Amino acid sequence: MSLKRHPAQWPWHGLLVVILLGLAIGLWVATKRVNYEWRWERVPQYFAYRAEVPQDTPISGQVSAIAPEGRSHRIVITPEGSGPPVTVTAEQAQVAVGATVAENDTVGVNFEWRVGPLTQGLWVTIWISFVSGFVGLVIGLITGLCRISKNPALRGLAVLYIELIRGTPLLVQIFIFYFFIGTVLNLDRTVAGIGALALFVGAYTAEIIRAGIQSIPKGQSEAARSLGMSAAETMIHIVLPQAFKRVLPPLAGQFISLIKDSSLVSVIAITDLTKSGREIITASFATFEIWFTVAILYLLVTSVLSQLLFWLERRFARSD
Amino acid sequence: MIEVKHLIKVFEGRGQVVRAVDDISTQVAKGEVVVIIGPSGSGKSTFLRCLNGLEEFNDGQVVIDGIDLAESKTNLNAVRREVGMVFQHFNLFPHKTVLENVTLAQRVVRKRKPAEAAERAMKLLTKVGIAEKANEYPSRLSGGQQQRVAIARALAMDPKVMLFDEPTSALDPEMVGEVLDVMKQLAREGMTMAVVTHEMGFAREVANRVLFMDFGRILEDAPPAQFFTAPREPRAQTFLKQVL
Ligand SMILES: Nc1ncnc2c1ncn2[C@@H]1O[C@H](COP(=O)(O)OP(=O)(O)OP(=O)(O)O)[C@@H](O)[C@H]1O
Ligand SMILES: [Mg+2]
Repeated sequence: MSLKRHPAQWPWHGLLVVILLGLAIGLWVATKRVNYEWRWERVPQYFAYRAEVPQDTPISGQVSAIAPEGRSHRIVITPEGSGPPVTVTAEQAQVAVGATVAENDTVGVNFEWRVGPLTQGLWVTIWISFVSGFVGLVIGLITGLCRISKNPALRGLAVLYIELIRGTPLLVQIFIFYFFIGTVLNLDRTVAGIGALALFVGAYTAEIIRAGIQSIPKGQSEAARSLGMSAAETMIHIVLPQAFKRVLPPLAGQFISLIKDSSLVSVIAITDLTKSGREIITASFATFEIWFTVAILYLLVTSVLSQLLFWLERRFARSD
Repeated sequence: MIEVKHLIKVFEGRGQVVRAVDDISTQVAKGEVVVIIGPSGSGKSTFLRCLNGLEEFNDGQVVIDGIDLAESKTNLNAVRREVGMVFQHFNLFPHKTVLENVTLAQRVVRKRKPAEAAERAMKLLTKVGIAEKANEYPSRLSGGQQQRVAIARALAMDPKVMLFDEPTSALDPEMVGEVLDVMKQLAREGMTMAVVTHEMGFAREVANRVLFMDFGRILEDAPPAQFFTAPREPRAQTFLKQVL
């Protein structure tokens, strides 16, 4: 077998390049056919932009001098009656020497960097996913333990919860959580959104954790028990650490899904990345560009997370 | 040290009822080494596991150092820390180093300080001849080495009794000796031991008594010299013919 020559790989690589190129051209042709005009230059301002901050004069009078100073200008205003002249500093003067200004008139502007809606939306998506992921992990851990408990009440509740969540669409859960539970408990929309996501991810995490715990050989807990460790001590020191290592890959997958699923909370008017995208489109009409940008941002977050978990997994593999 | 009276353990499942331990009564005195032999499925493991409460028994009485396991107010965890157990498949904790394997229960159960636990662990690891591997993970050790660590781990709790369930059955033949040597030394030091094994040489050399089990019962209970030369039970005779 080893003497058999491997077929050359390069034609396939070539084919791959050709296919990708074809797709790119197809996309270009498609947008041409709908007469779409790409305006990518409009996108960056939604990440961050320089806002104009107006600088007002505290008195009325006449602009007597404008002197450059470094990167800004000193605008000197002499009052009509008596009194000392007042100086306003602004990066850009919006009045000319000799102009008459009234009190609180804007005489110049300063520029300041502000984060745009895309960045804000991205941040909301990240922290909502993170918080609901963490809460979901705790819920999942508790539910997973209840699921394998000997107590029928705990086990029954856990099964009921898991089945309810896994059997209904997340979108419906979010609506129920927001409109029903949120109204009854008077919850803020963000709390409702996080709660719905946490409950959702908790149910899936519970099953992952249950499977992980059950995958640890019985001999491990028997050895721990034979040393006099209690059931809880055995769980904490022996079973869970080993189980955690095994469930890390499926958990990672679950969290990556969560980041994507979190886009659904935009339906209850939480301004996450998706909602920001929608809002920007109504203002900019750069529909294609914004949706592509939003997609890339999600992709960026999820791939950073998978890299992180990949690294974590390798660290845990030390004892293998 | 160990007293067993009319012990019964029944497994039920899939419509089958197995009387794994069927009315066993015996006792093991302090410092005594008892070897339990018998054909596969005769209930040796189950019997041993009843002795430290790893298996809940259906009826009868097990008294360890004056404490009745079946009594409802007995804290099983407290009993188990006095009864060390060594398993056929070692069951070392793979996510802990050798040293951590030996120190963990000392710290968690005996509440010893880390330094004290580590000192005790190193002493025991030296005793079983494996101190130089203290910082390795179990997966890097041979079977014989792992089993010696497992013995050290059990000894670290300063048990009054040690139970061994076929400690050499999963080992390559060349590693059996190193584990048996450790066990022999333990026996010489006066440890109370109950050993399930197929190593007849060990039984002959170390045991004070040999128990022959079949169908969940003790069919013969005799000193090794007598058991190996003149077994009374016909089944023990056939068994010995097969293994010797
Ligand atoms: N958890 C269990 N559930 C059901 N039956 C069991 C269980 N454990 C053991 N048994 C049954 O009990 C009987 C005794 O088993 P045990 O493991 O004690 O035998 P053994 O003498 O240790 O055998 P071996 O030499 O193969 O280890 C067997 O018939 C076995 O099938
Ligand atoms: Mg057995």
